[in-house]
Amino acid sequence: MLIFSFFKTLTDQVITVELKNDLCITGTLKSVDQFLNIRLDGIRVEDPERHPHMLAVKNVFIRGSVVRYVRMAARAVDTTLLEDATRREAHNTGK
Amino acid sequence: MDALIPFTTSGSLVDLVDKKVLVVLRDGRKLTGVLRSYDQFANFLLESTVERLHYKFEYSDVDIGVLLIRGENVVALGEIDLIAEDNLPFVEIPLDEMRDKLAAQEKRRERDNIVKDKVLGSLGFVSDRHEGDAY
Amino acid sequence: MLPLALLSAAQGKPMLVELKNGVTFNGHLVDCDNFMNVTLREVYQTSADGERFWKMKEMFIKGNVIKYFRIADAILDQAAEEQEKNRALGRQRGGGRGGRGGGMPGRGGRGGPPRGGQAGRGRGGPGMRGARGGAGAGGPGAGPRQA
Repeated sequence: MLIFSFFKTLTDQVITVELKNDLCITGTLKSVDQFLNIRLDGIRVEDPERHPHMLAVKNVFIRGSVVRYVRMAARAVDTTLLEDATRREAHNTGK
Repeated sequence: MDALIPFTTSGSLVDLVDKKVLVVLRDGRKLTGVLRSYDQFANFLLESTVERLHYKFEYSDVDIGVLLIRGENVVALGEIDLIAEDNLPFVEIPLDEMRDKLAAQEKRRERDNIVKDKVLGSLGFVSDRHEGDAY
Repeated sequence: MLPLALLSAAQGKPMLVELKNGVTFNGHLVDCDNFMNVTLREVYQTSADGERFWKMKEMFIKGNVIKYFRIADAILDQAAEEQEKNRALGRQRGGGRGGRGGGMPGRGGRGGPPRGGQAGRGRGGPGMRGARGGAGAGGPGAGPRQA
């Protein structure tokens, strides 16, 4: 739940999603769900020659299970808050 | 409370219904069609589905009709911009030609992969290529 | 209509099933369930490379190995019509009860968006009711600490 909550704070930020098939998509995070499925708007594919089929696509829904990485600007992340939340979560689920 | 867009699978997908979409499957297929419905597992119901085979700057279409796709096989689903679609720099070629070109490409790729696996194998790596994900 | 609803409505009809490994089956749908498990009869099986063929009277396919179903357009139209008919009948009989998500073709199974805001995951809000399929219905109270 923690990472899901974290993604919710990132909505309307520009992020780059790298898929397990090496496809990189940059776009604005519009929505995320509990499975970490991602909805991006205004996308741009990093290597359009290798993936020509995406040229006419502007918005995309990416299944969480195929994501390798999500990259974002450092200033979009409040690491202190994230660390605190992580410690709380670990404390609550660790027992 | 930004309750206008609930953070659910349904919320993410609701505005794509009845739109022309591109679906990329885990086996590498690219399908376009009209999204008619979906559910919480991201199973999709597509109508007027067309599989588009790509080779460099050429393409070929295969009509498939109605498709019920099991959600776990989907990599991504994108809304097709109908204007951008008309401006694509692609040339359509006949299906048989396309199939021949792709078969040749597959053969080359398989040859390269066998060599790669051999080299990596000698270094101690195990081939994980045949796990069913070709995308 | 929901994908699994279409599948149920297509019972008795012919269809093509492709598995994750590329094997295809052409047959008539006998039955299906919510896991997408299906039983087919009078089945023609084709190997993934399209070279080998088998015929079987009846078979069971586990849902989790399926990639997709190919269904004739006519079946989709027929199923949509029947759904409309049943809805009309329900409206006559049930008066103001109103089917859950009725009259909203193609909406997600949660009937979420039109209800407005109820589906906020992790808000730990009231009403985690109804089958919210998938990974555990996230404990109420595990709400976002940093939202």
